[in-house]
Amino acid sequence: MRGGDNQFTLKSYKKLFESLYPQLCVFAYKYLNDLEISKDFVQEVFVKVWEDKITFQNENHATGFYYKAVKNKCLNYLKSKQYKVTERYELANLEAYETEEFYMSEAVVIETTAVIDKAISKLPEKAAQVIRLSIEDYTNNQIADELSISINTVKDHKKVAYRKLRGFLSFLTVK
Amino acid sequence: MDNSNKIKLLSKKLAASLIKKEASNEAPSDIENSEFFDKKTKAQMLSNIKEGERLKLLKQIDTEKDWEILKGKLQGSRKPTRYWTYGVAASVALLISIAFVFNKTNQDQNFDVPIIVNNNIEIGTDKATLTLEDGSNITLEKGTAYQTAHVNSNGEEIIYDATNNQQPVTNNYNILTIPRGGQFYIVLSDGTKVWLNSESQLKYPVAFNDGETRQVELVYGEAYFDVSPSTAHKGAKFKVFNQSQEVEVLGTEFNIKAYKDETNIYTTLVEGKVAISTADKNQILIPNQQSNLNLETNSIEITTVDVYNETTWIDGIFSFENKPLKEILKVLSRWYDMDVIIENRVQTEERFIGTFNKSNSIEDILIAIKSTNVINSYEINDKTLTIK
Repeated sequence: MRGGDNQFTLKSYKKLFESLYPQLCVFAYKYLNDLEISKDFVQEVFVKVWEDKITFQNENHATGFYYKAVKNKCLNYLKSKQYKVTERYELANLEAYETEEFYMSEAVVIETTAVIDKAISKLPEKAAQVIRLSIEDYTNNQIADELSISINTVKDHKKVAYRKLRGFLSFLTVK
Repeated sequence: MDNSNKIKLLSKKLAASLIKKEASNEAPSDIENSEFFDKKTKAQMLSNIKEGERLKLLKQIDTEKDWEILKGKLQGSRKPTRYWTYGVAASVALLISIAFVFNKTNQDQNFDVPIIVNNNIEIGTDKATLTLEDGSNITLEKGTAYQTAHVNSNGEEIIYDATNNQQPVTNNYNILTIPRGGQFYIVLSDGTKVWLNSESQLKYPVAFNDGETRQVELVYGEAYFDVSPSTAHKGAKFKVFNQSQEVEVLGTEFNIKAYKDETNIYTTLVEGKVAISTADKNQILIPNQQSNLNLETNSIEITTVDVYNETTWIDGIFSFENKPLKEILKVLSRWYDMDVIIENRVQTEERFIGTFNKSNSIEDILIAIKSTNVINSYEINDKTLTIK
């Protein structure tokens, strides 16, 4: 229960959490190389947004906000005394971590991985396997071999997958 | 330059292009065509996605479990005690008269000393009377316990258990009556949670028949409903009746205020969707809307409200925004079970912004009100408060 326009309720906040939490943890892990600390940091950001009653205009805005907040938290930690005391070595490539390029490419790679996984999870198991292999650059022939099915079955699975994911795939054509 | 807001869109496009390609050498993905990343970075990104290390890490995260942990932190952070660590001082600071802020009409300091004769006004507590099918009454309050096959109460809340109730009997109703100075929490047999405010009465079946519309009656008073969704009950709707209106629900959270001594019924929707109908009107509410049914004119007015102010009483806080003192005094009279006599009507039209903890003593609150200089003084005699 939460007051005001656009503010989160516990239920709507849970949805947002489920849609972002795993990838944010992996994203933080790419900076910190420690999954437990990564989870803590991401949760701290979720607590902060809740307590400060931050609202978002849309999904893009919310996603961007969380990635940026987690990135800042990670970089601050890497630069902190606490980190330098607990880790035996100084981070050699801190400078690389601080670039916009590292930030954006890691964020997009992880978010894309999560988006694909979520889309494929809606497919029948075999179709999901076919698409997964296709993404890993397997040709139809190789997929047929790998899954011991005929090449036509591979094509059928792909058709089923494209039909099921039609709404999702239309992102290609809209800007 | 901040590109954060593009992350989601870029990822969706990239994901779509990776899924859609027919074979590895065809259909270069969007990201390869875009100018956003340089060529080397693009190649690295694609290889990172395909190689699947991040996917394995993603699968290691137990989102459900971590949500439960986070939920604890979120709920903890909203507990009244946290906001109210400053206790009385905070409530005093937060109670502001609009006149004081904007008009400064009451600049004259006055030093009338309040008169307190035998103050018997007590802070409200969890208490209720349970009326059973046969008309017998059971008093529920802290320290008393009541238990049968399908009901369990520790004196502070009452829970109806659906699982122990094999044979639901229709027309078997219980009534929970909350006196002035009381509040109570009840879980109905379908899992619907209801918070009842002072001076309220709820009539409800001991068990609901599977698949049939669930019906309860808020006979009078104020209640906050967190309705167990229809989807969990074979689509069975949930209806809250009142003498003058009916609210139909499909699993949602809302507040109804229908006091006997008021000529308006307020229904505030926090989440979900409800339909309100009176003898001759129908009205749908969306979240953050409040309907105000005027019983004298039989008209319904819909406004957008800050639901926090309307519903925070269930968290142990009364929050007022731009409310006349007379309305605030009415709320206080219910929680503190006191009679209020107002000698000067004009003062009580003054509007206040304020918040106080339900665990504050009445005197703490009166001191805060008096400090705004809107009232000259007050008098407490036994259970009666006189505003001078």
